[in-house]
Amino acid sequence: MLSAVAKPFAALALAAALISVVLAALGASPAGVFAALGEGAFGSWYACVDTIVKSTPLVFTGLAISLAFSGALWNIGADGQLTIGAIAAGAVGPHLADFPHSIAIVTILAAGALGGAAWGGLAGWLRARRDVNEVISTIMLNFVAVQALSWVVHGPLMEPSRAYPTSSPIASAAQLEFYFAPSRLNLGMLLAVALAAACYLLLFRTGTGFELRAMGRNRRAATFFGVRIPALTVWAMAVSGALAGLGGAVQVSAISHRLYEKLSPGWGFEAIAVALVARLNPLAIVPAALLFGALDNGSQAMQRTQGISPELVQVIQGLVILIILAFDTPAWSGLREQIFGASSEEAAAVPPVAEMPDA
Amino acid sequence: MLRAIAITRRFGRTLALDGVDFEAIPGEIHALVGENGAGKTTLMNVLAGWLVPDHGEALLDGRALQAGSPRAALAAGIAAVHQSPMLFERMRWEENLALGGFDTGAGADALDLAAVAARARSLAAKLGFELPPAGATVENLSVAERVRLEVLRALSFNPRVLILDEPTSVLAPSQLSAFLDLLRNLRGEGRIVVLITHKLAEAIAVADRITVLRRGRVAARTTPAETSEEKLAGLMIGEIVTQPDASAARPHPGGPVLHVENLTLDDRTGRRILDRLSFRVAAGEIVGLAGVDGNGQTELVELLAGVRHPGSGKVTLHDGSSRAMAVIPQNRDLDGLILDMRLWENLMLARPIREQVTSHGWLNSWRASDLCRELIERFRIRAPGPETIAGALSGGNRQRLEVARAIASRPRLIVAHNICRGLDLAATAEVHRTLLEFTAAGGAVLLVSSDLDELLAICGRLLIISRGKIRETNPGDRDPQRLGLLMAGAGD
Repeated sequence: MLSAVAKPFAALALAAALISVVLAALGASPAGVFAALGEGAFGSWYACVDTIVKSTPLVFTGLAISLAFSGALWNIGADGQLTIGAIAAGAVGPHLADFPHSIAIVTILAAGALGGAAWGGLAGWLRARRDVNEVISTIMLNFVAVQALSWVVHGPLMEPSRAYPTSSPIASAAQLEFYFAPSRLNLGMLLAVALAAACYLLLFRTGTGFELRAMGRNRRAATFFGVRIPALTVWAMAVSGALAGLGGAVQVSAISHRLYEKLSPGWGFEAIAVALVARLNPLAIVPAALLFGALDNGSQAMQRTQGISPELVQVIQGLVILIILAFDTPAWSGLREQIFGASSEEAAAVPPVAEMPDA
Repeated sequence: MLRAIAITRRFGRTLALDGVDFEAIPGEIHALVGENGAGKTTLMNVLAGWLVPDHGEALLDGRALQAGSPRAALAAGIAAVHQSPMLFERMRWEENLALGGFDTGAGADALDLAAVAARARSLAAKLGFELPPAGATVENLSVAERVRLEVLRALSFNPRVLILDEPTSVLAPSQLSAFLDLLRNLRGEGRIVVLITHKLAEAIAVADRITVLRRGRVAARTTPAETSEEKLAGLMIGEIVTQPDASAARPHPGGPVLHVENLTLDDRTGRRILDRLSFRVAAGEIVGLAGVDGNGQTELVELLAGVRHPGSGKVTLHDGSSRAMAVIPQNRDLDGLILDMRLWENLMLARPIREQVTSHGWLNSWRASDLCRELIERFRIRAPGPETIAGALSGGNRQRLEVARAIASRPRLIVAHNICRGLDLAATAEVHRTLLEFTAAGGAVLLVSSDLDELLAICGRLLIISRGKIRETNPGDRDPQRLGLLMAGAGD
């Protein structure tokens, strides 16, 4: 039996073996390709920083997913929540020039968190009050968010010269500065790691976190023992959205400094894979996100030096996820139950668990 | 002939079956009796292809059955009815039955639900069952209705061997004799009927042979003529259980604790579920609420627990706060426990305990663990420790955990629904003793049950619920037959 820690690594090794076969079949040298991948992801100070920068939004959105999924709230809308958070940050950012740096930073990040919270909370409210399946509502709200971003950069927030579909740059007071410029190392990842710890404490060390997990594992029992399901649903979706929105605000504040279309390459969706690989454990989100960020980052070097298309990296990512899930994580069982509707009653009826005798 | 030879099956460190031999011949009803955890269900699961034994094999007419394949077992003619119904909650009952042999419609792909329903109704009429209205989804059915559905589904396969795991525990007394007649009919047709039960009177009444399991081994093979309930009970547990003494309950109850007035509830379709219920429960008494499942008890308990809201009427707790009530729901696996969480986490489901182990929102898991360890000790829950996953406990120990949690919540009132269903004699006696101690210390209990014998044994007062109406019985009226008629709705 592999331990929980060893499983992802075993899966990674298995994925690498499969990829090697594919590469060899394509006539490339697997060793050279993997070396380039590693070089691109961790080969230099800049490469490392870039990997961290690329992973940061995945940590925020991964935490958003893990929190919601822990309560069996299937938030597929982290991408939309991140986008709305970014729009909020991009909207207030240009107006913060006269404020001290610390206040400007807090304001722009709070704007992002509030925007994301509103977007996530809306889906939670629809679930709690109107029984709208949050999978559907969050997917739909993703489309709305993407179009909203497109609209604001062509309309109300378009930069004054009206030449490019971007917003005005945010005030420098509201920018998370780069340490060791020109590298893009910033406080974003530190904030993300702190939030990962906070999410862990919230889920496993507070009464509210317990209620959320109880709701996720057995909604009926939670109802029976006085957990206020509707309020908890709205709260959890809002907090989940806030985490994603904060990721969007950090991206605007530290990296992009302005809004433009397709700001997110799909972080909110990649985050689902990140969260599942991390088995919904907030502390494991950080290394899982770094793994995905490193694969993203390394792909460019791979393409440059080995002539391998970056699409192949997506193939690798897909294989890693599939293989890790095939090793059957609890997170996956939960999702499977949701999708195929297995109730805890049916799970209980499975003989090996239900039949353990007294003695 | 159905044979099991030297079946051994281990779960972790626990030996569930230890070299068990079993045989049943066509045209017999073979009762399999034993305590919770004796291995009855494990044996059934091996025979029905649900479990692969570690050693040994199962044979039907000399041919070995493919281990671990329910499909193969079914094809060979072995159908099983499980204790917790295995139905598709969100599908209609007709669709659930269509999975069996009822759908013999025109094409393989054509599903004629009307034909399924018609076949099911004609078979149910023969058995004296009533089926739910057309189109009802399983999640809205009572436990009894679910078990009936599952029996019907099993019979629809026209099985040569029918294995039933505690099928009678949810039947009304009036339905019981019809059900036992059904078993006799099946025997008359030359089928093999294996009846798993812990109701010894039933086993003696209907079985041709009885096999007693104790702790994974065959303790005895006997026939009704050679044995008695007392002898069987002794064989099952190997010791004599002392029944708790109901007279320990205070004869003069104290002040009122629960006051229910004119409680009325309609379901979504406007059908009346509860009809102007009024009753009181006082400190120091156990009030029994007897009724056949599906007469409004589940809704009443949910109302008291605050999961539902009444159409009209009032529930008053004389302590003022709803925290003063602890509810033990009937379906412990579905409503009462979170099976894949740890024992201490399950304790925390109860709000008073949750509040006791959190301060300013922060959870003190040490305190929760300590409390859990204490309760494991005090209520003799057989579990390695607080970190054990609730799903790893046997039914009896899950129930002990629920009772322990209710008591530890320090309520003034415990509302318990069918808490001894599926429990053996020893575990039942223990639960009853705990409730009697609780009332002796001034607590109040509302015990909702479909088991009249249980209620008569420990309740001071007895209410009967039928079709959503409650009537109080005379304290002196303890005639089970008359009360059984009232439960079945006579005199409405």
